[in-house]
Amino acid sequence: MNRSPRRSLLSMLVPAALAVALAAASVAAEKEPIQARQDAMEAQGAAMKALGAIARKEAPFEAAVVRQNAETIASGLAAVAELFPEGSDRGAIETWARPEIWANRADFEAKRTAAHAAATDLAAVTDEAAFAPALGRVGNACKSCHEKYRRPKE
Amino acid sequence: MSRRRRRIAGLAAVALLALLAFLILTRPRAFETGPLPPASADLANGELVFRVGGCLACHAAPAGTPGAERALPTGGTPLPTPVGTFYPGNLTPDRETGLGGWTEAEFLTAMVHGVSPDRRHYFPAFPYRAYAVARSEDLRDLWAYLRQLPAVRAPGRAAEIRLLPLARRTVGLWKRLAGDPRPPAADPAQSAAWNRGAYLVHGPGHCGECHTPRNLLRIRDERRALAGGAHPAGEGKVPSLRGLVARHRYKDAAELALALQFGETLGYDKLASGGMGAIQTELSQLPPAELRAIAEYLVSLP
Repeated sequence: MNRSPRRSLLSMLVPAALAVALAAASVAAEKEPIQARQDAMEAQGAAMKALGAIARKEAPFEAAVVRQNAETIASGLAAVAELFPEGSDRGAIETWARPEIWANRADFEAKRTAAHAAATDLAAVTDEAAFAPALGRVGNACKSCHEKYRRPKE
Repeated sequence: MSRRRRRIAGLAAVALLALLAFLILTRPRAFETGPLPPASADLANGELVFRVGGCLACHAAPAGTPGAERALPTGGTPLPTPVGTFYPGNLTPDRETGLGGWTEAEFLTAMVHGVSPDRRHYFPAFPYRAYAVARSEDLRDLWAYLRQLPAVRAPGRAAEIRLLPLARRTVGLWKRLAGDPRPPAADPAQSAAWNRGAYLVHGPGHCGECHTPRNLLRIRDERRALAGGAHPAGEGKVPSLRGLVARHRYKDAAELALALQFGETLGYDKLASGGMGAIQTELSQLPPAELRAIAEYLVSLP
């Protein structure tokens, strides 16, 4: 066989890189889903607070700020789809997720999709008059899910 | 008489006396009054009492009820509690299944004494101990408001409780142990809004039914009024309403009033879970000045 040294280096590096990538992926997958979804919800809550400040006229209406915060909510809601795996109704840390989520998966998913659509619509708002109603639709979508699927939290 | 027979007779007498004592101590009381003085009903105030009491939150139609009936207090949604599951009744004026056949005095007896027209105790899942301290004008306006709602036929359902008739009668003893409900003391040093808020919170709003902890007999511990407690449906903990500003939950009364009015639509996400969502939906329909009064009172609690 007549293999160049360069080629053999590559043949060693590719599997090593693959192994590293696989390990990284499995670490990500193993990140405690309860922690991951609470982080996602926190980020959405902070964005919602920022949007609320605009609605209360404590901050000026700026389409770019609205878009950025609404996109945070939309991407959080997209991530949430993967963050309630079967069996994560309990775990290492306390969760406020109610077990009904896994019993009514289709309804939970419908609510998540509706909230995601409302957040996407909000991100597209450029007109101040359309802002409060669009924000209200996002808030009501959050509420309709929290009402049913989240336990009260001090 | 043999000794044995005498002993049996003695035991029977003791049992009979105990039964009599039980029956006397648990006897349901009625609203004792002659014919009620005529009242000119204020329907707007009746609706305000209906909303601040969150009647619809418990007397909701079952999930899946179509259209306009959802907005009416037809009852039927299960209310799980540590004692058993209740099915709050139909408050619309349907003659057979609702309040259509009731008199105003029967309604006031139910609201103030927790006794039904057929003279049986209601379980305190129906918060009559709070309504007992409501002004009678408010209760009469609420009655007038309920009378003009569209009548919906919605048959009730018996509570799911072990030994239901005995448990129901024993509620009479519980009422005695709990004592007479006391209205919140007016404080002339405080603003009119604060006093109004105290009344709404402790009277028609009955916030303490969930937010005040209870003792082993499930009687509210008023020394720790609104300090939070176990969730009645076993859903963890009901938050404390004390020190809301000191604990950085809300900046001030104005912000709490906004949270009560708008809830999650302004990003206030603490008002959705554990049954509060349906109550906040009702509160959102109150005049802002009433919410401000409730908020003024609540943020003053240390």
